[in-house]
Amino acid sequence: MSMSTAPRHRTLVAIPAYNEAATIRNVVERVRQNLPDSDLVVVNDGSGDSTAAMLDGSGATVLAHLCNLGYGRAIQTAVIYAQRAGYDRLVTLDADGQHDPAQVRALLAEFDTRQWDVLIGSRYVLKREYIGVPFGRRVGMRLFSLLVRLMAGRRVYDTTSGLKVIGRQTFASLTKWQFIDFHAEAIVYLMRLGYRIGEFPITVDERRHGVTMYSALSHIKYPLKTALMVVLGVVEASLTRKRPS
Amino acid sequence: MTAVGLVAVTAFCVALLLWVVYLIRQDRLYAGYGVIFVVGTIALMVLLDVPPLLRAVTAASVVLLPVPSLTLIALVALTLLVVYVFIQISVLSNRVMRLTQELAIRNPDYHNVETGPSGPR
Repeated sequence: MSMSTAPRHRTLVAIPAYNEAATIRNVVERVRQNLPDSDLVVVNDGSGDSTAAMLDGSGATVLAHLCNLGYGRAIQTAVIYAQRAGYDRLVTLDADGQHDPAQVRALLAEFDTRQWDVLIGSRYVLKREYIGVPFGRRVGMRLFSLLVRLMAGRRVYDTTSGLKVIGRQTFASLTKWQFIDFHAEAIVYLMRLGYRIGEFPITVDERRHGVTMYSALSHIKYPLKTALMVVLGVVEASLTRKRPS
Repeated sequence: MTAVGLVAVTAFCVALLLWVVYLIRQDRLYAGYGVIFVVGTIALMVLLDVPPLLRAVTAASVVLLPVPSLTLIALVALTLLVVYVFIQISVLSNRVMRLTQELAIRNPDYHNVETGPSGPR
């Protein structure tokens, strides 16, 4: 697949994939159908299954990590790639098929209209309730949403959404520092740097194949690590010169 | 613990916290390791500053004899050694990560719809 010679905004769609052989082909095809003007890259994050084979002949550009680096680093690889190739915006989508690529157009339109720096596809911004979410996860989502509000001054309802539109103006900040999963810690960091981050309502399908990236132990480790990184993000952002408005 | 001991251990905890935060910020210590020290140190400080809690933990751990100061020095040395080991692991891990990312970005594999993978171009 060649780099787009495209028109107004060069858009790169990035799908981080780790052991997603069951769904990746379908996701790639749906992206190609719904976003024919965008370039598509799959970051194969050291998958041990046949994810790589499923991408043969799919039309996607594959950036292959030789070993598993984790979701945050996979997204960071896509950001570095987008930055070097001169893309104007990066759309991130999950590889498990939960996100409907057809919703991305509306997201991009909102991104351009309101001139966001980052726009999050949000499952909860409309209802402002975490209905249908398991109890433990619901508590976590509320806590992180509250943490973002405390640290950045504005509430973000869906801090863990994998569907985002990221503007090129944020690429440098996102490749400079370490982020765990590009969730609350990245959101707070960017907000504290003065970037505009918005939410746009989306719907997601239930995961039908594969397993979530969160193990039992990560339910303890993840909140601690993220909370620490959120606090450090505030410190880091305060020490970094604010971008000119 | 005596007042001097309390101040000394608290000062060590604060210094350790600041050092760990500095290391994480510099990307020299992985946040996952850092959180172990941050949580552990804060727990220790809470324990020291709440005497009933310290007494309860002491009783629960069936400590019969007071800990000699030499043991505390050894514990401090061990803590610093563990931080150092984690730094080294983090530095190597960061190098592997950057190398892996760079290899992926410099060697993109283009999969044409008709012909399959065509290699970098």
